[in-house]
Amino acid sequence: MYIEVRGQKTYAATGGKEFDSSLPTVMFVHGSGLDHRSWALQTRWFAYNGYSVLAPDLPGHSLSAGEPLESIEEMGAWLADFIRAAGVSRIHAVGHSQGFLDVLELARQAPELLKSITGIGTAGAIPVNPALIEAAKNSAGNAAEMLLLWGFGPDAQYGISAVPGMQPIAIGRQIMARNPLYEDLVACANYEKGSVVAKSIEVPSQLILARKDRLTPVKAGMAFAEELNARVTIIERYGHMLPIEAPRQTLQKLRELISSLEEAA
Amino acid sequence: MSRSSYLKPDTVALHSGYVPESDHGSRAVPVYQTTSYVFESVSDGSSLFNVEQGGHIYSRITNPTVAVLEQRIAALEGGSGTICTASGMSALFTVFITLCSAGDHMISATQIYGSTATLLKHTIKRLGIECTFIPINDEQALRDAIQPNTKMVFCESIGNPGLEIANIPGISEIAHEAGIPLVVDATFATPSLCRPIDHGADVVVHSVTKWMGGHGVAIGGAIVDGGRFDWEQSGRFPELTEPYAPFHGIKFWEEFGPSALAMKMRAESMRDVGAAMSPHNAFLILQGIETLSLRMKQHVANAKALLDWLQQQKAVTWTNYPDMESNPSHALAETLFPDGAGSMLCFGVVGGRAGGAAFIDSLQLASNLANVGDSRTLVLHPGSTTHSRLTVDDMKAAGISEDMIRVSVGIEDISDIKADFARGFKAAERAAGES
Repeated sequence: MYIEVRGQKTYAATGGKEFDSSLPTVMFVHGSGLDHRSWALQTRWFAYNGYSVLAPDLPGHSLSAGEPLESIEEMGAWLADFIRAAGVSRIHAVGHSQGFLDVLELARQAPELLKSITGIGTAGAIPVNPALIEAAKNSAGNAAEMLLLWGFGPDAQYGISAVPGMQPIAIGRQIMARNPLYEDLVACANYEKGSVVAKSIEVPSQLILARKDRLTPVKAGMAFAEELNARVTIIERYGHMLPIEAPRQTLQKLRELISSLEEAA
Repeated sequence: MSRSSYLKPDTVALHSGYVPESDHGSRAVPVYQTTSYVFESVSDGSSLFNVEQGGHIYSRITNPTVAVLEQRIAALEGGSGTICTASGMSALFTVFITLCSAGDHMISATQIYGSTATLLKHTIKRLGIECTFIPINDEQALRDAIQPNTKMVFCESIGNPGLEIANIPGISEIAHEAGIPLVVDATFATPSLCRPIDHGADVVVHSVTKWMGGHGVAIGGAIVDGGRFDWEQSGRFPELTEPYAPFHGIKFWEEFGPSALAMKMRAESMRDVGAAMSPHNAFLILQGIETLSLRMKQHVANAKALLDWLQQQKAVTWTNYPDMESNPSHALAETLFPDGAGSMLCFGVVGGRAGGAAFIDSLQLASNLANVGDSRTLVLHPGSTTHSRLTVDDMKAAGISEDMIRVSVGIEDISDIKADFARGFKAAERAAGES
C-alpha cells in the first residue's frame, strides 16, 4: 500500500493482505540498499495468520518517493512518523542489518511505539569498510557486487535458493544497484549510539545471527546481545542475508517471540 | 554485466543450484522422480500454497531436480530466475502468453525458426495476439512497427537457419525507449558464447534440447528472467503490476520486483498450462551442461575448420557462417560472440535441390534429422523439412534457399567430418552432372 509520510508517497508491503491497524502489527525494516522484498518470505505468513504487516521502503528506495535519509537518527525519526501515519499505536519492530540500527533509533526516540524489537544479521554498530563506501559513491552497482559477495553465505554463492528456480544474488543486485546504497552505508558507518540505546530499551528483544555472516560477524552480534539483554539465536551455515537465505528458520524465530508476546498480552 | 553468481562460468556449470544434500551426501544431483511432496502439517501446506514460504507442492509447478537446472541456467545467463519447460517451443509459448493477451501486439524478426514462425503467425494469432514481422536489425522498421499495445520484441541471437546475428544492444535500446522488453531466443549460442542479458535483453529463451544438453536424449526448454526490466515504469503490463485475482490479488511487481516475470510464469503458466519439464530430463540436461564450455569450444573450432575446408570445395556454391569475414554480420558477431558465433553453418551445393538431396543421402557419419546442437554432426535440408510450411516468399524472407544445407557441426574429429562430406560432394556432383 502507499501512504503519505512527511508529504511523500511511501510504499509499504502488507504481506498480500489489506492493512488493518486494529490487528497486532509487525514492522519489517530493510537493510542498506535493499527494500521490502527482503521480507517476502516472512511478511505473508504474519499477514495471513492474524497480524498486520508493514514493510516500508525507506525514502528514496525502490517504490518510495523522496530523498534518502542521511543518518540512522533521521531514519529512526522517520520510522516513528511512518508508524503514526499508518495509524498504529504499538508495533513489533524487526530490522535486518542497518534496518536494526534504524529500529534502535526508533526505540530511543519513540519507545512508546514499540512492543518488541528483533535484529537479524546485525550488531549495535556496523562499521563499513571505507573502500566499500568509496565504491558506492562511484557506482551503487559495483558496491552491490561487493556486498552481495560478502553478504550471502556459501550456499547462496553456490546458487541455492529458498524459492525454486530463483537466484537471490541477481535479485539483490537489481534492487541494490537502483537504490541509494552510498547514503545508507555512510549512515551505517557513522552510527555510534547502539550501546547507549541498548541500556534504555525495556521491551523484549532478540537477535537472530548467522554463523557465516562476514558483514556483521556473530562475535559482534553476541556482544551486543549481552548489552541488550536479548535472547539470541545463531543460525548455522548461512550468511548475512538471513531473511532471504534462511527464511524458514528466520520466520520461526520471529513467530516464537512475537506470538508468545501476543498470547501473553 | 548481469550477475547471479561470483563463481566462474565453468564452475557454475558444474556446481550452481546444488550442494550435496544432507540425508545421503549424494555428490551428483539426485533425480526427484516424484509428483508431489508431503506437507509437514495442514498449516505448512497452506503456507506453501499461499507463497508464505518457498518449497515444492507438485512437480508440474516445481521439482527439486528441475529447480537445480533452473538455478544453474539462471546463474549461467546472469538472470534473476529461470523457469524450465517441457520443450523450447513450450518455453516460447509460455513467454508469449505471459506477456501478451488477446488484443495485444508483438514484433518479431522474420529470421526465426520455422516452428516459432508458425506459432506466431497462426497459433498466437488465433488467441487474438497479432505479430508484425520485420527484417532483423532494421531499426526503422522496428520503430515503425511499435504500437500502443505492443508487448514485446522477439528475435533469435543467431537466426535459424539463416544465421543472422541480432544486434541485441541496438534492438533493446529501441524497445526500451518505448517501454517494451526484448525477448531473445539464444539456443544457437548458449551462455557459453553470448549472454544476451549483458547486451540488453530482458528475457532469454533456450531450447535446452540442443547444445545445453548436447547429447540429444532429452527435450526441454528454459526461460530466464533478466530481472532488469521495470514493468511498472513501462506502463504496458497490468498483468504484472495490478492485482492477480487467482492468487489473492497478488501484485507480482510489488511483491517480487526483479523476479516478477518468473514468478508470474510459475504461478500462472506452469499451473494452468502445465508444460513442465520432467525431473529425469532435467537430470539429463544437467549432465550436458557440466561440459558445456568444453563442448562449445570444440563445436566452434570444428565449425571454423569445416567452413575453411568447404570454401575450397568446387561442389560448394556458397557458404554462410555468422563471423565469416564476407558476412555482413561479421563485425557484430565479433562483438557479441568473441569466442565464436556457434557451430551452425549453411552452404549451397551444386545440383540445386537434387544435388542437396544426393549430398545428404550419401552421408554416413553426419545424421540427417530435424535437430541441432547434438555433439554429433547433424545435417538437414530446411526447404523440405523444418521450414516446409512456409511459402516461397516467406522462405526467402527468412533467408532460406532451396539448395541450402544446414549443418550443426559436431565435436567428432574434424578429419572424419571432412571425409564424410567429401563423399557427399561426389554424390552431389554426380547428381548435378545427371541433371
